[in-house]
Amino acid sequence: MKPAPFTYHAPVDADEAVGLLAELGDEAKAIAGGQSLVPMLALRLASFGHLVDLRRLDELRGIERRGDDTVWIGAGTTQATVQRSDEARAAVPLLARATPFIGHFQIRSRGTVGGSLAHADSAAEYPAVALTLDAELEALSPRGRRTIPAARFLTGMWSTELADDELLTGVNFPVWKGRCGFAIEEFARRSGDFAIAGATVALRMDGDGHLDRCAIGLFGLGPTAVRARDTEAALLGSDPLEADAEEIGRSATEGLGSVPSDLHGSAPYRTRVGAAMVARAWRRAVQEALHG
Amino acid sequence: MAPTGGDAAYVGKRTLRVEDPRLLTGTGTYVDDIVRPGMLHACFVRSPMARARVLGIDVSEALQLDGVHAVFVASDLNPGVHEQWYTLNGRDNPDTPRPPLAEDEVRFVGDPVAMVVATDRYIAEDAAELVVVDYEPLPPVVDYATALDSAESVHADRPDNLVGRLGGRPMADLDPVFERAPHVVSQTLYQQSHGPVPMETRGIVAEYAAAGGEMTIWAATQSPHEVRSFCARLLGIAEHRVRVVMRDTGGGFGQKVLPQREDMCVMLAAARLPAALKWIEDRQEHLLAAGQARHEHGEARMALDDDGGILAATLDHVQDAGAYPTPSPVQSGIAVGMLFPGPYRIPEGTFSSRFVFSNTSGRVAYRGPWQYESMARETLLDTAARQLGLDPVELRRRNMLSREELPTANFNGMPYDHISPRETFEQALTMLDYEAFRREQVRAREQGRYLGVGTCTYVEPTAGATPFHATEGATIRIEPSGKVNVYVAGGSCGNSLETTVVQLTADSLGVAIEDVSTVQGDTAVTPYGAGTGGSRSGPMTAGAIAGTAGELRERIRAIAAHRLEVPVEEVEFVRGRAWAKGRPGEAGLTLAEIADIAYYQVHALPPGVPAGLEASGRYHTPHLMIWANATHVCTCEVDVVTGEVKLLRYIVSEDCGPMINPSVVEGQIFGGTVQGIGGALYEHLAYDDDGNPISTTFMDYLLPTATEVPVIEVGHVETPSPGPGGYKGVGEGGAIGSAPAVVNAVADALAPLGVRISRLPLTPSSVVGFVEEARTRQAVTL
Repeated sequence: MKPAPFTYHAPVDADEAVGLLAELGDEAKAIAGGQSLVPMLALRLASFGHLVDLRRLDELRGIERRGDDTVWIGAGTTQATVQRSDEARAAVPLLARATPFIGHFQIRSRGTVGGSLAHADSAAEYPAVALTLDAELEALSPRGRRTIPAARFLTGMWSTELADDELLTGVNFPVWKGRCGFAIEEFARRSGDFAIAGATVALRMDGDGHLDRCAIGLFGLGPTAVRARDTEAALLGSDPLEADAEEIGRSATEGLGSVPSDLHGSAPYRTRVGAAMVARAWRRAVQEALHG
Repeated sequence: MAPTGGDAAYVGKRTLRVEDPRLLTGTGTYVDDIVRPGMLHACFVRSPMARARVLGIDVSEALQLDGVHAVFVASDLNPGVHEQWYTLNGRDNPDTPRPPLAEDEVRFVGDPVAMVVATDRYIAEDAAELVVVDYEPLPPVVDYATALDSAESVHADRPDNLVGRLGGRPMADLDPVFERAPHVVSQTLYQQSHGPVPMETRGIVAEYAAAGGEMTIWAATQSPHEVRSFCARLLGIAEHRVRVVMRDTGGGFGQKVLPQREDMCVMLAAARLPAALKWIEDRQEHLLAAGQARHEHGEARMALDDDGGILAATLDHVQDAGAYPTPSPVQSGIAVGMLFPGPYRIPEGTFSSRFVFSNTSGRVAYRGPWQYESMARETLLDTAARQLGLDPVELRRRNMLSREELPTANFNGMPYDHISPRETFEQALTMLDYEAFRREQVRAREQGRYLGVGTCTYVEPTAGATPFHATEGATIRIEPSGKVNVYVAGGSCGNSLETTVVQLTADSLGVAIEDVSTVQGDTAVTPYGAGTGGSRSGPMTAGAIAGTAGELRERIRAIAAHRLEVPVEEVEFVRGRAWAKGRPGEAGLTLAEIADIAYYQVHALPPGVPAGLEASGRYHTPHLMIWANATHVCTCEVDVVTGEVKLLRYIVSEDCGPMINPSVVEGQIFGGTVQGIGGALYEHLAYDDDGNPISTTFMDYLLPTATEVPVIEVGHVETPSPGPGGYKGVGEGGAIGSAPAVVNAVADALAPLGVRISRLPLTPSSVVGFVEEARTRQAVTL
């Protein structure tokens, strides 16, 4: 469990980092907290001639309120920083609530927001949160900056919209206002393990108590986190108290293609657990929207 | 042999561990901490296939890499083997082939085919990737359960894949009892493969000094003397030319009682290398190749009368031995059948055990290797209770042995004595408040929640007097300053052997505990001994120390009597100070003053007392084994939607006789119990149908962590053994009683749904599977 040889680079800013990524091509890999990459290198499941370490890129770190409607979180911000942030807890409650599910505190002390999103593990929490809240991801390359909506960012298992020479620099999380409810539920073999299945729910009620915004995210149930858009659409405009949570869970997990199957559970089992997580998250989100 | 240290004995107290200052400050010395001049590092090239013919190995590219010193294949190393057998099993044990490197055929994924030697482990791993092995795949025998009927053979000279079989009287003998019995209950329960997974993986450093023909080995081992004898035989060098040293070993759990094939390679290669050779197993290698245990199933049957009295019991048991089992599975496996009757009055019965080769990692010893006897029996008892409509506790009360019935023997002739199964059972149930739990369970079921309780009561032979294990030595040297060093073979792998040895010595000699140190784990300086294994260290080292210390104490008192000019009988010697009885106020003699006489004023010694204050003794146990026993009780809640099992309370009542150190005893119980919880719910060294291991990291081989394990509550019942100090072994028991208690608790929780558990571990998905299966079965029945 020793990695194959690689050349280590430690650029001082993001421009230098993307310059290196462009120059070195697919032989290079950016490394942030290394909580997924280093074990893969040590097991020789992955091997890169060059590692571009992002640890000196202070511009990638921070949690800032940007205007009334957005919280920007730098890609290099550790998950532990998010967990401790009052700003994140108040403005993006779903993100704050998802954070303790990520590994163990040692992992969160090194693991970063951007690392989790760019690694794009199908069972990871942050991609599902970004997708559920309609976050926007900022990327930098030698060609300049661009913004990628979360819905377009995740393209497959461990793959994203980012080009080889493109670096995730930050995420803009929209601040949901009004009578909102947010919940995440996940089921894992042990505390800190990757989810067998998980669900995120974000909803908002209008003055009459009907849903005017509703998002259901699923993770661990396919190559990427997904939204249960048909179920969401059916729920919009309805009174959440009249909805059957179990039925929502079933509907949200219906027709999922390529649910993983492994030692920890078959595809039907994961689907069943996913439905239960949706139902549980739904109930909690509704309770929060109703009672705060 | 009661403690003789005066009014306040150390034995029995929660003495702080003497190992802790170095371990808790990160300054322990593990094998990977050993660095030798010019030391080289080994990495194995391992088979990626479960079974294949090795057509050729090309090492040329690997040898080109800078820093690579050598690449050894079977034809380089294997001819160097002189003799290959374990003291534990005896010479000429026929049941286990063991080539250092694979020769013509690889027999499991992870089978070592070549060994790269380089200047560091990184380069060795780079080079290992460059070794090209030409394999011709062969159909593997993956499933041990069907291996006996397979057309393929793991070892060509064992075409039927049978390692060996053992058993009692023929099963058919019992047919009349079963035919006449009002109730017969039977079940087959499959237990998954476990890895012992000590925190420290395997590791060895071997350094050969060709000029003097001396081999020095630093090893992660439970038995340095076994490693020495094995190495001497392997290389054909004299035993006294081999020195094995271990200080801290980070867990062994049975896996480290014996050197395995990789260790053989390092020993053989080191004899040909100009510098020391180190091999530290990484975790992936460990999960691939360090061995598996507990992979077995059995059909257990019980005949009962109308009152729930057990009339007879049988067990037809099959265990996976893997490709290269270490040690002999047959010798150690017989205990499953012999102990199957457990602590119950069962008038007759029998067993059959078969041990079967498969193309998987070899079976190793694992803390309570016979645990399946309890798994089979205790789960069957719960099934029987449900079938008879009896509470499982009531069924056990009607059949469990109590102290008044001892001594007795089980139907296999195992002679039980000095145990207290019924007492531990009742104590554990009282600690739980069993009746209150049953009431809570009823209320919970009314709310659609599934709570369960399970128990397991077992008896366990400790400190067995096999030829290797029947004696233990101690040397005690009181230095001229009056400070004490006690030398025992050691082999401590976290079981606090230094602490308990210091406690025992301080009491037996009658000195202050601060004045005692211990030296262990170095074959050059300690007495010969078998090391840690078989739950033997407590009773056996206590015997060795008591005898040796007693002899020295007599000499101390004789010297003091001579100097104080009183008869020996009038000398008191307490906490390192001697005085004449009835005159404690007068200036007596300190141990330092007595030692000064013994070493430097030899003319002042009484007649017949030798110079110096050093003695060696060897304890030979007259007891075939020393029995210990315990009851585990566990409660849980099962989420029938996700299949999650949450343990609520965990209680152990054990009887290991008087405790040398309650903290050490409880530490052993906690550790073993957690391993059993892991076995019941989490751990699975799994293979796919092609023989590929699928749990090769800790992301898939799941160990229970602090968040999964409830507080473990411990109660003690104390029945002294006939052995030294009345002590009993306690190292393995926790790992025996726990998994069956957990399985019973889950089965009890799900009993209203008609669930039958047939396979372990009880993962969430398998629990859901059992619930669904029960629903389908009941739907069909309706």
